[in-house]
Amino acid sequence: MAAVEELKDFINHLIKAKKNIRLYPENNPVYMKTLEEIYSYLKNLLEEEEDLVFHIKQFEILHDGEVIYKNEDKDESLALFFFKDGIRELRFKKGIPLDEVEDFLKIISTDFERQMVDDDIVTLMWERDFQYIQYVVDDTILIEDETYEEEAVRQVKKAVSGADVLKAYQEAFGIEKPSEVSIVPLTNEDIKNIVQQIEEEDEDKSLKLIHLLFEMLFYASGKGEYEELVRYIKETFNYAIGRGNIETVIYGLEKLRQSLQERIYPPEINSLLKGVEYYINSSQFIRLFGETLDAGVEFEEKDLYRLASLMSKESIPHLIAILGELQNISSRKTVIRILTEIGKKDLSLLAKGLHDRRWYVVRNIIYIMRQIGNRRIIDYITPLIRHPDKRVKKEVLSALGELGSAGTVQLLKDCLYDEDETVRITAVRSIGMLDSPLSKKVILETIQDKRFKDRSVAEKKEFFKVLSRWRDTDTVDYLISLLKRRSFFRKTRVEEMKAMAAYALGLIGAKEAKELLEKYRNSKNPLLRENIEFALTRIKNDVG
Amino acid sequence: MMWDDKGEEYIKESQHLINQLAVLIRTCLIHSTENVAVLKAIERFLEIIHSFLQENESLRIDLIGEFFYINETRVKYPLEYLLNFDYLSREFRRRELGTVVFYPNVTKEAIKTFISAFIKSGYSNTPYESLEAYLEKTDSIHIERLKKIQEEGEIDRRRIVKKTYFNAVSFTRGVMNKLRAGEKVSIKKAKRIIESMVDMILQEEPLLIGMTAIKDYDDYTYHHSVNVSILSIAIGQKIGLHKKALTELGLVALFHDIGKMEIPKEILNKPTPFTEEEWQIVRRHPYWGARTILKLKGLEKSSILGAIVAFEHHMYYDHSGYPKVREPKALDFYSRIVAIADQYDAMTSSRVYARVPLPPDKALSVMMERAGTQIDPVLFKFFVNMVGVYPVGSLVLLDTKEMGLVYECNPLFADRPRVMIIVDSRGNKIDGYIVDLTEKDDSGRYIRSIVKTLDPNRYKVNLAEYLL
Repeated sequence: MAAVEELKDFINHLIKAKKNIRLYPENNPVYMKTLEEIYSYLKNLLEEEEDLVFHIKQFEILHDGEVIYKNEDKDESLALFFFKDGIRELRFKKGIPLDEVEDFLKIISTDFERQMVDDDIVTLMWERDFQYIQYVVDDTILIEDETYEEEAVRQVKKAVSGADVLKAYQEAFGIEKPSEVSIVPLTNEDIKNIVQQIEEEDEDKSLKLIHLLFEMLFYASGKGEYEELVRYIKETFNYAIGRGNIETVIYGLEKLRQSLQERIYPPEINSLLKGVEYYINSSQFIRLFGETLDAGVEFEEKDLYRLASLMSKESIPHLIAILGELQNISSRKTVIRILTEIGKKDLSLLAKGLHDRRWYVVRNIIYIMRQIGNRRIIDYITPLIRHPDKRVKKEVLSALGELGSAGTVQLLKDCLYDEDETVRITAVRSIGMLDSPLSKKVILETIQDKRFKDRSVAEKKEFFKVLSRWRDTDTVDYLISLLKRRSFFRKTRVEEMKAMAAYALGLIGAKEAKELLEKYRNSKNPLLRENIEFALTRIKNDVG
Repeated sequence: MMWDDKGEEYIKESQHLINQLAVLIRTCLIHSTENVAVLKAIERFLEIIHSFLQENESLRIDLIGEFFYINETRVKYPLEYLLNFDYLSREFRRRELGTVVFYPNVTKEAIKTFISAFIKSGYSNTPYESLEAYLEKTDSIHIERLKKIQEEGEIDRRRIVKKTYFNAVSFTRGVMNKLRAGEKVSIKKAKRIIESMVDMILQEEPLLIGMTAIKDYDDYTYHHSVNVSILSIAIGQKIGLHKKALTELGLVALFHDIGKMEIPKEILNKPTPFTEEEWQIVRRHPYWGARTILKLKGLEKSSILGAIVAFEHHMYYDHSGYPKVREPKALDFYSRIVAIADQYDAMTSSRVYARVPLPPDKALSVMMERAGTQIDPVLFKFFVNMVGVYPVGSLVLLDTKEMGLVYECNPLFADRPRVMIIVDSRGNKIDGYIVDLTEKDDSGRYIRSIVKTLDPNRYKVNLAEYLL
């Protein structure tokens, strides 16, 4: 039998574990160490006895008649913690597996006061259905009325006191044999059918509830009942979105929309339902949605589009607000997808997000506007070309490149001289996308600017790549002239330019430059050699 | 296989073991023990046995009540093996076999001997003795006779079952009164009450179902609520719902009629048939019930389910009942279970509003006609298999000219329940004693069989006199 000191030590560890398991997440080393310690304690104790039995009194825990724990503090006492829900004996059986120990610790770590759970410790242990932990419960705490049984039995016996058993017996021989109910054997098909239904049992039945609440509205009478039912509809939306059940919200909104359109309810109900519609687009509901997103719930694309199509433009400011508050990238992406749909309903409302103090919100809004693809956004975003944050600036440049016109080139031109290289690269790409004669002119002017030689190879390459969009003779001639250029001073810089020219000629596939390119094939400059090789291969492949 | 972690893996392997034994016996009924299919089944069975024997000195299979136990641990009833589990427990009972112990020296040959003996003993008038004789020389397998339930123990069990039942009724009455007074209701307590009923169903199903067969209480509504909860849990148990789901089901079933609280007492307690106007009021109780449940607890899983069941329990499988809805949707799974339990209990009860209760077997035959229209046909099959052809409370005449009340259904022999004899073969009224209709005489013929059923209500014969 285990020594008293060992058992006392075990109980003390259990108390410590009760706190640690509550405080730390499962992947935390303290959590894992606590669990391992308790498990190994139990295993050691169970090596000496078949079953480890603890008797629970109000403030004491006993083992084999010996008090091994005593604490009369109502908030701290482990004995009282078990006792108050009716547990009078706890038994740990030999062979107890780790998962049962872990689940037991999780149960006793539940903060029943704060977590507003509808279960007590007995219910949680009962639901877990432990195989190696048994407990004895005193159910007298459940008795409502001790005299009820006696009274009910007396009543029913009185009611049947006039039983005429012998008359029944005499008449029994005279009656005809009634038709029998035959036992229909259960088939494998029946079993399959039920298994399937059990599997399909939806954990969250909020969709069905929404459906029934709309039906119940037909049975409601008076303002009070209307308000009550509509309040439940609203609460069901909250319940569903809190659990990531977007389908319920979509179904409910569709029902709501349909009932308002068809005017199937009296006007008082319709006005209350409009309130629900307003609520769905409110800050309160959208914040709830945001919390669900941040909790890691993911939704299917088609559902998001359906939801967005059912939400009104009033939701836009609130969606923008949560965009700035969400913690996860994937959550923000989801809101961006929704705003891309809803934003179409009112660009001016969406554009208000461009004034947000957070650079990433502004960038997201510009991105959303790009996705919407309406040219009207140019007016909203153009001023942001001078935004202090380069990431915003780049988003604006990309948007202008996609949606701007020839006139936009002039706006972008200044950005080719921005102090940030990534901004300059984005700008040149956007200018290229605008694909106007002015675009080419601006790019050539920049390349020919004296300061251009000092830019990085990567940036130069980007400029020449954009320039290669124009495959006309002027461009090819210009590139050939660059390739022919010779210089004794700043030779590396000149050769860089020659390499870039070769690169662009390759992209164009300029056969007329082939001979010239061959001449530099064996250049000592590796960058030039590499780009010459690239160009020759491209030209050869183009010919092929 | 070693089970360092005796969790899911252990449970599954226990289920496989019972299933494999049933498969093996069934295969041997078709083929000889040298057939490839049989040899394969034996190999698989041995494999499972040895995996248990790696950690234990022996492997003990017990049949106790409805359940198999492996080395004293109850094997959970998996739905996919339900037919095989039922088959095996029936075959064990038929042979009065309660325990089989396998030792480490068990071989393929020993298993062959055991299976052959098992099958052959089924044809004997004294099957257990035959089985014992066939296995006399097999030292690696040991068997024990099925333990009969002791009468004294039964009295104790009955007392506990009664206590559980009346406590639930008293609690339900308390809840309704509290709700009427606008007071708060403890869901924690409700759950504990239901859990104790679920435990009773798992351990003492026939006795607790027997309690539902006692009618004639003054507080019909409360008793009806508890009866519907018990019968629903029992159906849920039969179809393989896990314990937590059984609690949910029991809880929503307990509150299914909570809307009746809103019906004026003068209507509810009216001794004559309802007028059309009164019916209209009565038919609103599902609507009131759903609202009451939502008010009671606010929105959470059990209240949502409770509201759905309260609203749908009279709707009928084909939506021909009430309340009528604009856009019918398939009834919730739990609503369909509760509807069966509700119909059965209501039909067999003498309610105030001018309904003559039907005898249990008659109620079943009425329900059988409704299967597929008013009630779910597949769930109804499970229900009939659970309560038997002669449900508890049925008044029956036996071929021995004895008369009795069906006291406990037999899940394995639906037409052979345990009967409390209240009139002997000479026509004398006696203090009931219980007989089991599966008992056979030396020639292998059943000692007693039911020949007729009577309406117990007509003669005011009720189990209450004997059970309570």
